[in-house]
Amino acid sequence: MSDLTITRVFDAPRDLVFAAWTDPDQLASWLGPHGYTGSAVTLATRPGGAWRACIRSPEGDEHWMHGVYREVAAPERLVFTFAWDTEGDLRTETLVTIDFADLDGKTEMTFVQTGFPTAADRDGHDEGWTSCFDDLTGFIRRKDAR
Amino acid sequence: MTDTLSRTFSALADPTRRAILARLSAGEATVNELAGPLPISLPAVSRHLKVLEEAGLITRGRTRQWRPCRLEAKPLEDVADWVATYRRFWDDGFDRLEEHLRRLTGDV
Repeated sequence: MSDLTITRVFDAPRDLVFAAWTDPDQLASWLGPHGYTGSAVTLATRPGGAWRACIRSPEGDEHWMHGVYREVAAPERLVFTFAWDTEGDLRTETLVTIDFADLDGKTEMTFVQTGFPTAADRDGHDEGWTSCFDDLTGFIRRKDAR
Repeated sequence: MTDTLSRTFSALADPTRRAILARLSAGEATVNELAGPLPISLPAVSRHLKVLEEAGLITRGRTRQWRPCRLEAKPLEDVADWVATYRRFWDDGFDRLEEHLRRLTGDV
């Protein structure tokens, strides 16, 4: 399975970086690509608590995302599930794990997102969707081969 | 980036539309051919085709009476490439997070 790992060092102490993830106003101020604005965020930052956020594109399109916190250990670690509202029955909930390490007052943030759909996952979940998606994957491969 | 993806996801979220795409992955087909095995009316099939066309998942021929539908691979490739999509999403956000933290620490 392919995971996404991004490591960044921020010139700020851990508690500040951690709060930027867990304070609704702060998260809304930076979440999303350049030009987007966070228009609403609710965060129940405790294990089992839900979070929900929305980003608005420059054109005004809203994209809602949501999940559940699995681990909240300030200022070291934050774990939560992540899914877009629009993904519907595509079963594309992923898991985000963020570790915050202290580097003499700076913070090394290691962001890992796992659980992206793979062929094996799809086989286990939904036969109808799997067979369809396999067909489509084959179609893409044939296109690539040309 | 999420705009295109959202449109693709919405289009793919419906089982009838997925069935239509699966059929088209085997080759071009007309509305009548697509409607054949489906338990819904022709106008309903047409509405689904419109959604798929707007999402860029299919294109339709120009010939008036027989506008064959054809599957387009590009949006599906985008959906399949989850990791690259999310990397762009978060990298962009983390640039903004860095700016946000700089403002907070007064180091602007």
